[in-house]
Amino acid sequence: MEKIIEVSGLSYRYTEEHPWVLKDINFTVNKGEWLSIVGHNGSGKSTLAKCLNGLILPQRGIVRVGGYNTADEKTIWDVRRLVGMVFQNPDNQFVGATVQDDVAFGMENHGLPREEMIKRLSEALRLVKMDSFAKSEPHRLSGGQKQRVAIAGIVALQPLIIIMDEATSMLDPEGRKEIIQTVRALNKEHHLTVISITHDLEEAIHSDRLLVMNDGQIIREGQPRDIFKSTDLLKKIGLDLPFAIKLRNALRAKGVPLKDTALFQEELVDELWTFHSNM
Amino acid sequence: MDISFEHVTHVYSPKTPFEKRALDDVSIHIPSGSFTSIIGHTGSGKSTLVQHINGILKPSNGTISIGDFVIKANEKKQNLKALREKVGFVFQYPEHQLFEETIIKDVCFGPMNFGVSDSEATKRAEESLKLVGLPSSFWHRSPFDLSGGQMRRVAIAGVLAIRPQAIILDEPTAGLDPRGREEILSLFKDLHKNLNMTIIMVTHNMSDAANYSDQVIVMDGGKPLMADTPQNVFAQAERLRKVGLDIPESMEFLKMLTEKTGERRTITAFTLDETADAIIDILNGGKEHV
Ligand SMILES: Nc1ncnc2c1ncn2[C@@H]1O[C@H](COP(=O)(O)OP(=O)(O)OP(=O)(O)O)[C@@H](O)[C@H]1O
Ligand SMILES: Nc1ncnc2c1ncn2[C@@H]1O[C@H](COP(=O)(O)OP(=O)(O)OP(=O)(O)O)[C@@H](O)[C@H]1O
Ligand SMILES: [Mg+2]
Ligand SMILES: [Mg+2]
Repeated sequence: MEKIIEVSGLSYRYTEEHPWVLKDINFTVNKGEWLSIVGHNGSGKSTLAKCLNGLILPQRGIVRVGGYNTADEKTIWDVRRLVGMVFQNPDNQFVGATVQDDVAFGMENHGLPREEMIKRLSEALRLVKMDSFAKSEPHRLSGGQKQRVAIAGIVALQPLIIIMDEATSMLDPEGRKEIIQTVRALNKEHHLTVISITHDLEEAIHSDRLLVMNDGQIIREGQPRDIFKSTDLLKKIGLDLPFAIKLRNALRAKGVPLKDTALFQEELVDELWTFHSNM
Repeated sequence: MDISFEHVTHVYSPKTPFEKRALDDVSIHIPSGSFTSIIGHTGSGKSTLVQHINGILKPSNGTISIGDFVIKANEKKQNLKALREKVGFVFQYPEHQLFEETIIKDVCFGPMNFGVSDSEATKRAEESLKLVGLPSSFWHRSPFDLSGGQMRRVAIAGVLAIRPQAIILDEPTAGLDPRGREEILSLFKDLHKNLNMTIIMVTHNMSDAANYSDQVIVMDGGKPLMADTPQNVFAQAERLRKVGLDIPESMEFLKMLTEKTGERRTITAFTLDETADAIIDILNGGKEHV
């Protein structure tokens, strides 16, 4: 499989007075995969994300994106072109006076021709359902509307890799589902590589692979089904279990003889249904 | 301190091309000591609504009363400082309310602003920071050198240190890790139960709204669509779905199951325990539950 990101021996601290917040991080990202990163508050997820688009540079170790070393000034713009990042707080991301200027700004920076820009602008705003706000000022939007615009700004750039740092944390249930579906379609149909930082485990269980961070280190890496077997470890580091597992455990405690495999709610429903039919 | 809105309308940037009627003739009542959740899709007016309760926004029309304080459209501002001592507010984006040099100074600012002594403010600040789970090794750092979830904890501590009678939380758990969510929510539940504090929480998490509140207000297009107990609100799945909302995941799960067993009835269960019991009932042949 083609490795689109390779991180080796990465360590980082914000200043010499501050403690190390990334400690000897090693991992790779395959082209076209959906990778989720979970971890407690302050475990280093956003700092790691900023290392992946060269916004901050490692003090130790190497980060390669599409083969380019992020520490190489000559190719930093190539790195930025490959990686689109939706920040945790969209306010830090807005530059334009209106929603459409804002989305257009990134494309101008990438030197896209005008016709192409206009086409992508209306597509992106339509995808996040913000077309009717094209002429609004970004700071006069509601919290969730800001998140939608921030996502449109990145989608319009059609990067090879998208990093979403809690990008849907303030969306309503329907809006969240829609945005995830949109990005999933880009992932499946256009091989967009997705790195999603999230506290939402129901989203995380659908990824191809999961990284678990704890205090600046990656302490687990693998498929969601395997990772969520480590119940005690996850609890110990401030994380939780997906709903189906919690419910399954509650049912087992009440004497319902279920297997310990269901991860998705649909699986548990099926298991209960079989059980019901055989009674 | 009862809170009520009577025919409140809010128009942003009136008489400009950006004019936006974000609240439209809203009349609601929030009883003293209640835990009220406000849900609604993006842009439905939740933040606008709650910002009227401590005078951040003024109504374009109508009246808001918060205990003895009355805020009316077109009237001079009341003593907002006295109001804000009673009603604390945690913003949707916490970085908007952090500004001091260090975290501990930031949390002391509120109580000191309301005349609390230096030493008492420090005591309260330390207490509050412990309650929100921010380790003391951080306290003397700048609040801007923090992760998103850590900033939210500091913003919450800043409001707790004031010891208000009512707290407004605009999506307080966005950005918190799972343990943090649970701890912060049970903290508010305790404050509500033990100190009879009024809690008003805007949230996109239907399970949290169901599990913690006495009253759920559903906003749609600047108007309250429902205001009722969580049981009654979440029994109306179709109506909620029409306005971009959902039922709690526990009920969603029961719905998937009953669709298979062919029962097609709505079961209101919010906690894991209730959900497991409801499932056992279904397995035992669908005896009436709840
Ligand atoms: N600008 C900064 N200066 C100094 N320290 C910082 C700065 N930003 C973050 N930190 C610290 O670095 C550590 C990692 O922060 P980071 O933002 O990467 O965490 P995170 O995993 O994204 O957390 P969250 O889930 O709360 O967003 C934290 O302990 C934080 O306090
Ligand atoms: N300062 C402003 N000027 C003009 N319009 C505004 C302003 N702030 C908000 N609005 C608009 O008012 C409406 C209600 O916004 P509000 O922030 O109350 O929504 P919300 O329910 O809190 O949404 P969210 O869940 O996304 O936070 C939105 O359509 C928004 O675009
Ligand atoms: Mg972060
Ligand atoms: Mg809001």
